[in-house]
Amino acid sequence: MSELPLVIENLTFRYRSRNEPAIRNINLRVQPGQVVLIAGASGCGKTTLIRCINGLIPRSYKGELTGSVRIFGQDTRGLSLARISQMVGTVLQDPERQILGSRVINEVAFGLENLGLPREEILRRAQEALERLKIAHLRDRETFNLSGGEKQKVALAGVLAMRPGILLLDEPLASLDPASAQDALRMIRQLADEGMTVILIEHRVEDVLAIHPERVLYMSDGEIKFDGTAEQLADYVDYREVKLPAPMILNLAARMAPPPEPQWLPSGREGQREPLVEFQGVHFGYENGMEILHGVDLTIYRGDIIAVLGPNGAGKTTLIKHAIGLLKPKRGRVLIRGRDTRQMSVAEIASTLGYVFQSPSHMLFAPTVYEELAFGPRNLNHDPETIRKEVMEAIEIVNLKGYEQIPPLSMSFGQQKRVSIAAILSMRSRILVMDEPTAGQDYKNYISFMDSILQMPGFEAILFITHDVDVAIRYANRVLLVNEGRVVADGTPEEVLSDLERLETCRLVPTSLLRLNLDYLPSTRRFLSAEVLAHFSLA
Amino acid sequence: MLVTWRYRPRKSLIQSFDPRAWIIFFLCYIACTVLFWDLRYLLVLFGMALVAVFTSGIKWHEMRRAWLFIGGFIFFFSFLTLLTGRGGIELYKEEHVIHRLAAGFTLFGWRPTLVLSAERIAYAVAMMVRVFSLASMTILIPYSLNPALYGVTFRGLGLPDKVAYGMDLTMRFIPSFGRDFQLTLDAQRARGYELEKISGGLFAQVRKLAPLIVPVTIHAIVASEDIIDAMDLRAFGVGPRTWVDELHYRPRDRALIAFGVAMLLCSIALSLWGFGKFWVPEFLLQLAQ
Repeated sequence: MSELPLVIENLTFRYRSRNEPAIRNINLRVQPGQVVLIAGASGCGKTTLIRCINGLIPRSYKGELTGSVRIFGQDTRGLSLARISQMVGTVLQDPERQILGSRVINEVAFGLENLGLPREEILRRAQEALERLKIAHLRDRETFNLSGGEKQKVALAGVLAMRPGILLLDEPLASLDPASAQDALRMIRQLADEGMTVILIEHRVEDVLAIHPERVLYMSDGEIKFDGTAEQLADYVDYREVKLPAPMILNLAARMAPPPEPQWLPSGREGQREPLVEFQGVHFGYENGMEILHGVDLTIYRGDIIAVLGPNGAGKTTLIKHAIGLLKPKRGRVLIRGRDTRQMSVAEIASTLGYVFQSPSHMLFAPTVYEELAFGPRNLNHDPETIRKEVMEAIEIVNLKGYEQIPPLSMSFGQQKRVSIAAILSMRSRILVMDEPTAGQDYKNYISFMDSILQMPGFEAILFITHDVDVAIRYANRVLLVNEGRVVADGTPEEVLSDLERLETCRLVPTSLLRLNLDYLPSTRRFLSAEVLAHFSLA
Repeated sequence: MLVTWRYRPRKSLIQSFDPRAWIIFFLCYIACTVLFWDLRYLLVLFGMALVAVFTSGIKWHEMRRAWLFIGGFIFFFSFLTLLTGRGGIELYKEEHVIHRLAAGFTLFGWRPTLVLSAERIAYAVAMMVRVFSLASMTILIPYSLNPALYGVTFRGLGLPDKVAYGMDLTMRFIPSFGRDFQLTLDAQRARGYELEKISGGLFAQVRKLAPLIVPVTIHAIVASEDIIDAMDLRAFGVGPRTWVDELHYRPRDRALIAFGVAMLLCSIALSLWGFGKFWVPEFLLQLAQ
C-alpha cells in the first residue's frame, strides 16, 4: 500500500433533485496517519464529500458525478461498495442511525459476517475491536440500552473490526456529553497515530483542535475555501462563523470595536421572585421499576434563563417532560402557576409552557413552513390575524425568511431544527423550554437564533438542556447540574461552573471559554462571551 | 435506531427450546387451531396455550397492556358476533332459539330483534376460545425469543440470508414504530394537539390525524434509508454471509418438532374424516326447547 490513502481530483457532484452541484472541483491528497478536520456551515457540502469517498455516491444517491476518487490507488468507480467498505470505514453523525445489531457483539460483527469470514475469525476481530476501544465489558449488552457515548464507541468498533485504512467520521461528537466527546477524540488521535487516515467533519472545531489535526479544511458553497493548519485557520475564517478556541477569538475580537452588550429578556421584576413552575419532591420511574428521578425539588422563577447540564442519561429530558405534563410524577407533584399538572391536560399546559423537542423529525408534518408554524397557535385558538403576526415573527427569529412556502420536510436537518423551534415560538407560550436547541447546528446559526430568542419579548422564563458549556456561559443566568436523577447543583453560572471538580463528576469538561472567564472573573464579576472579554483587561 | 421487544432470559418452558423448534411447533399449532370449530377440540388446544403462558415466566405487569388490548378486542368482536350471528351462518343451517328480544319500536317498518340461539352462543364461544388460543401463543414470542437470534433463526428455518435478515429487521421495526408514534404524539400534544377532540366526518378525521401520520411515516422512511445506508456501508448482501451466532438442535428440540408435526398430521386426518366440525353442546339445545 505505497499509494496515498486518498486522492480526489476535480470532483464535482450534483444531486439529481437539485439544480446546483453540492460540491464542485474538489482536489485533495491525504497522507497516511493524518487527522483531517473538515469544517463549514450546514449545507456547505461536507456530507456530500464524505458520501463520494465512501461510495454511497453514486451508488445510493444518484446524480451527476465528474472527477475521480482514488483509495490506495484504486479508482472507486470500478469498485463495489463491499470492496470500498473494507478500505473506508464510515461512522455516521448519529450512532442511533447506524447501529443495526440488537446486541453489541452482533453489531460489531455485522460487517465481518457480511464478508463471509469464518466464525472464529469474526469473533477474534470483533473482540479485538472491542478491546481496542475499551468496551469489551459491553459485549453482550443490548445496543438500545447503551448511553450515547457507548453507542458511539460501538458504532466505531463495528467499523474498525473491518480494518479500514481510512476512517470517515461525520460529526461524531454531536450527541455526546463533553467527557464522552473528549474520550472519542482521544481515541481518534490514537487511531491516526497507529497509521489510520482519519477524515473528520465536525461543527465543534474547538474540541477537535485539542487533538491537533494535521490538516484543517474549510468548506463553503461546495468548495474547499481553506486548506492548511489549525494555526492558519484563525487568520482565514471568520470567528463568528466557526467556533474557534476562546483565546483565538480573544485575539481576533480585540482588533474589532467592542460589541454592544446584549440585554437578554426575559427579566424578572426587581426584588420579586415569582415562581412559575415548581417541582416538589418529584420521583419518577418507568414501568420496569427503575427509578429515574429521585425526589427533585426545583422552582423556576420569572426572569430565569436556565441551562440544564449533565451527562447522557442523567434524567434531564425526563425532568423537563414533567414540566409540560407529558410525564406525571410517581410521587411528589409539579405545579404550573400553582396548579398541579395532574389536573391539567398537556394542551392546557402548552399555552403556558412551550416545549421544543430534541428531534425535529418527530413533529414536522405540514405542507409549508407557514402552515407548520400556524399549527400550534391554531390549536390554542388564537385569532387568524394574531396567528399571522406570530408566525412571521417566529420565521424572522430563526432566520428563515423567504422559506414560508417551502415544505419543511424537504429542508436540511439544521433548517428543520430551526422550524421546530419557530413552531413553538409562534405559540407565544410564557415559558420556553428547549431540549438541545444547538445540537447539529452550525455555530453562526445557533448564535444567531439563540441571540434572537433571548431578546424576544414576552417570555417570562427560558430553560434549555445543553451539552455545550459555552452556551450556558453565554446565555444562562442560572445553571442546573443534573446527575443520576438528582439536581446536584443550582445557582448562577459563576457559582456552579467555577467548581471544576463537580463539573468533572457530571462528565463536563471545562472549555477554553470557561477557563478564560475564570481568569477574568475578578474583573468582570460575571461570565461573558469571548468577544466581550476581548475588551476587558485582566485584574 | 431499532429497539427490541421486552425479551429477557427466563427459566421457562418456551425458552428451554431452540427458537427454530419453537417456531416450527408454533406454526403447527396455528394450523391445527384453524382446522377445528369443535369447542372440545379447541379447549384442548387452548389448554396447551395456557400451559405455555403459565410456564413462560413472564410477569403479568409485563404483558398487561398487550393482554388488555388483545383481550378487549377479542371480547368486543365475540360479543358482536353473538349479537349479529354473522360469521357462523356458514357452519350451521338451522338455529335453536333460546330467547328472542324485540325492540319496542320500528325503523321504516322493521323491528330490530335480538335472537339468542344455541348455535350463536356456541359459535361465539368457539370463536373466542380459538382466537384466544392463537393470541396466547403469539403474544409469548416477542417476550421469549432472543432478538439477537431472530436472523439466525429464520436462516435456520431455510430462508435465504437476505430474507432472514429482513425478517430480523421487520420484527424489530414494530416496537420501534410504536416508540416513534409515542414520541410524535408527545411532540404534537406539546403544541396543543388533542387526539381526543378530533371530530367531523371520516375524511375530516383522517385529515386531522395528519400531524401524527405524516411524521411517523416520514420518520419510518428516513429510518429505512439510514438502515440501508448502514448495511451498504458494511458490505451487506455481497455474498453468502456467516452468522456469528450458532444454533444447535438437541433431542428435546427434535422431540418438540416431532410432536408439533404429529399433532398437525393427526389434526389434518381428523379433519378429513369429518371430526372437529362445529358442535353445539346438548345443554344449549335443551335450553332452546
